[in-house]
Amino acid sequence: MKKRTVALLILLTVFLSGCWDMVEINQRLFVSSIGVDLHEEEGMNKLLVTFVYPNINAIGKNATEDRKKYIVSTPCSSIFQAGKEFSTNVEYPFYYKHLKVLILGEDVIKDEKLTREIIDELNRDTKINKKLLLLVAEGDAKEILESKPPQGQITDGTIYNILRDNRSASRFTPQTLTNMITELDCNGVSILPRARKKGEELSISGAAIIKNYKLIGWIGEKENRAISLIKNKVKRELIDICYNQNILSYTITNADSNKKIDIDEYITTNISIELEGYLQGYKMDNQVNIFKNEVLLNMEKALEKQIEKETMETLNLLQKEYNADVIGVGECLSKFHPKIWKTLQNNWDEVFPEVKFNVDVKVNIRRTGLTK
Amino acid sequence: MQRNKISNRQIKALIITIVVGIGILSLPSDVAMIMENDGWIGILIGGLITIPFIIMIDKLFKLQPGKNFFQLGKEILNPIVFQVFLIIEVLYIILLLSYANRVFVDVMKAYLLETTPTEIILMTMLIAISYIARSPIEVIARMAVIIYPIIIIFIIFLILINIPNMDITNIYPMFQVGYKEILKGIIASLFSYSGYEFMLLVLPQAEDNKKTLNYSLNGMFVVIAIYLIVFFISLSQYGIHQLKREIWPTIAIVKEVDLPGYFLENLDGIVMAVWVMVIYGTIGPYLYSAGTILSHIFQTKVHDIFILPLLPIIYIIALLPRNLVETEEYLGKTVSYFSIVAIFIIPAIMFISAYIYNRRNSL
Repeated sequence: MKKRTVALLILLTVFLSGCWDMVEINQRLFVSSIGVDLHEEEGMNKLLVTFVYPNINAIGKNATEDRKKYIVSTPCSSIFQAGKEFSTNVEYPFYYKHLKVLILGEDVIKDEKLTREIIDELNRDTKINKKLLLLVAEGDAKEILESKPPQGQITDGTIYNILRDNRSASRFTPQTLTNMITELDCNGVSILPRARKKGEELSISGAAIIKNYKLIGWIGEKENRAISLIKNKVKRELIDICYNQNILSYTITNADSNKKIDIDEYITTNISIELEGYLQGYKMDNQVNIFKNEVLLNMEKALEKQIEKETMETLNLLQKEYNADVIGVGECLSKFHPKIWKTLQNNWDEVFPEVKFNVDVKVNIRRTGLTK
Repeated sequence: MQRNKISNRQIKALIITIVVGIGILSLPSDVAMIMENDGWIGILIGGLITIPFIIMIDKLFKLQPGKNFFQLGKEILNPIVFQVFLIIEVLYIILLLSYANRVFVDVMKAYLLETTPTEIILMTMLIAISYIARSPIEVIARMAVIIYPIIIIFIIFLILINIPNMDITNIYPMFQVGYKEILKGIIASLFSYSGYEFMLLVLPQAEDNKKTLNYSLNGMFVVIAIYLIVFFISLSQYGIHQLKREIWPTIAIVKEVDLPGYFLENLDGIVMAVWVMVIYGTIGPYLYSAGTILSHIFQTKVHDIFILPLLPIIYIIALLPRNLVETEEYLGKTVSYFSIVAIFIIPAIMFISAYIYNRRNSL
């Protein structure tokens, strides 16, 4: 009896141990970036999907191969279809859990239907990390993915590193999938960072304005900075202005902004931005030139004026040219004035250009660096 | 040592582990569908409604000390009526177990075991719970004490990882909901509070009869707090529109986590591991109570002979719906209706008749 039990237990280990669907880590292709372009207007295969995955053999100290990453692309109807499409000529299956970056080509995102299909596909999938970063390519996404990175690259993932490690800078604002969907739900408008080619090299700057899952325009670095300031997304930033014919550099160490909406005859949005920081550079002089309170106060005034001007210009651009509520006035209304929002909700596009803005910037120069 | 006595701490742990079950995954999205940002009102009121019924169950056993649920039922009710009640309870438990198992399998397949067949996951889970269900009640209480801290740690973990990128203003606008929606929201949330009727079996075994009410109410308050926390976290993380879109927001929010440093990503595996235990703590005791009730209907001495015959029934019902939508539409709805009878009407009738019986006998 005992022997039989033991035999049975041993037999059980054969059937119960291990994992049937096991895939070794080196038999998986970890897709790290995907680019989506328009292939053809008609037919099923509208998209040209590009996958980028690192060459695992080229990672680490004892790398056996030189080539750091592989780029493959195929025309197909959807992103996951592309993965299947590649299976005809790639040795291992693709694995999407570590997907970090999705670049949408300009032509794709100009087509609302295609963009909605792509976003839904990604949002529905259980494997994909919803912190996926989205970008819009000026031109083709494939070219961006194929472009040479500025420095010698370690492995693939340059775009991700640029986005991630400079996230405090305000030349572009990294945008995640969920965040974009939330913004599009609330305001109908969102911004995605713009990727473009500078000669051979890649550069990420400015942003693309997306309205109802459709690209409606581009904004530059300065406008993006102003929007980041209003949306309270700036952590560290350097602002240069011209002050008494010299360049005055001011480093922001902390930024805080607040939106408040007053409703009477018009909808008035009061935006107050408070900046803290120190003086980065001004002008070498033989005497002490800036270690005086009135000088600093004057500098603060000049900075305030300049930032206010930039912000107002950006708001004007958004209102008059794009009619895009990027800064979230509608969202703010829906949260804090829900009754009024209900009456405006359906014709917000006509109301938004009429919204009045008051921008109040308060700049504090707390220190002047090491010298007086 | 088998004493078949249950301490007060175990009662509290039992309430929490049984009540917190499959409901926690979809509750935020369910109430948000009906009540938008004010879903928390439905969760709160739904929880508070259960409190009078917990008091009733507790008082029921104090009116007739020393008797268990079945002895009591035979004494105060018409035997046939009581028999019918027991049969309703068994049917309810079978349906609930099937529903819980089906949802469990669907979540498992979506997040963890994509290629494993539904039948295998279902069977494994059923065999695993049949082990705990065959044990005496004291063992179940000990299991609850083990699982209870896991739930609490999980909730704390959920709060901590979500703090860095939460947008608190998402919970506005508040108090925009109409009375009709509040009513609907309460009904939607009620199912998530079912499970405390297990007290009917537990309380007669209590070690210290005086403080049971305190501990069971404490347990219920913890459950309400857990549900509210989960609702507010998922709302502030997602915003109302995306929350309504999610099927299981409680698991999905951990995929939103983005902490400094690369190492904490894709935490859904951890959450699934915890959730398996949460479900185990819910359906184990339910299966036990089905066995116990059946053993009284058929007047056998032990309950464990009924556990294994129940498994195929649960298995078949769980596999009946064709897809997730059908599971929610048919199975989920039926269980909700049954649960209103099982957790509100039956305890209330028992209490009232016990009260009348007592008055009549004391006169």
